[in-house]
Amino acid sequence: MAFEISTQGKFTVVHIDEVRFDASQVDAFKTFMFEHIEGGATELVIDLSMIRFMDSSGLGVLVSVLKKMDGNGSLVLAGAQAAIQDLFSLTAMDRLFSIVDSVDQATAG
Amino acid sequence: MKKTNRQTVLMTIPSELNHTALIAMAVRGICAMTTLTSIDVNRLELCVVELMNNAIEHAYRAEPNHSVEIHISLDTSAIDITVSDWGIAMDHDQLNNTRQLVLNQNDPAVLLSEGRGLAIVKKLMDKVRYTSKEGKNSFFMRKRIKERTE
Repeated sequence: MAFEISTQGKFTVVHIDEVRFDASQVDAFKTFMFEHIEGGATELVIDLSMIRFMDSSGLGVLVSVLKKMDGNGSLVLAGAQAAIQDLFSLTAMDRLFSIVDSVDQATAG
Repeated sequence: MKKTNRQTVLMTIPSELNHTALIAMAVRGICAMTTLTSIDVNRLELCVVELMNNAIEHAYRAEPNHSVEIHISLDTSAIDITVSDWGIAMDHDQLNNTRQLVLNQNDPAVLLSEGRGLAIVKKLMDKVRYTSKEGKNSFFMRKRIKERTE
């Protein structure tokens, strides 16, 4: 399975085990995330460290997850590689999301 | 007159999203022949994927069994990529009216989950052009390349 969940303290950590996170992946990821949010997950960390390529569809589904949370709890994106950081910066989404260097950093607080 | 040594390749994929990675890898390989930086190569890969996604999801409404054509032309000064489909043509104003990639917290469009692809392409490429002629829709984009210094 391309997406896995683990728990670290109060945090639900979602690992995306894919090198490419593009339009062909987003429907499955959206369903996966929405099920966990509806199941009560509120303190979410998404581990992006495996992803080398993300397109605007990948970005869009992360926005969908943020909207789905509707201000409840927190969503942190962790471990983005250079190309992914560039995409967030280009689209100004780095100002919308909380982004940190690693899952350990996200779950330290 | 300076002689140009332009090289071209024409590739076709079925109108299904899982095939776009093959073209992305081909573009990365072609870019490895150039002086483009790793950041530029990543951005070019992003733009070609965005155009293929646009053809599959919008021109073909995600229907399989259609063709998406990718024409790449390279010389020492630029890489030109044209992505073509035979589906529903894009409204000509659509390219001009792409969303601004600026975060405005007061704008509800910030939280839209789609509609950023063409804006990214416009922002990153040196030249873009969309044409629709005799049922064939083509999105052309150019990225200039710094010439090698001897």
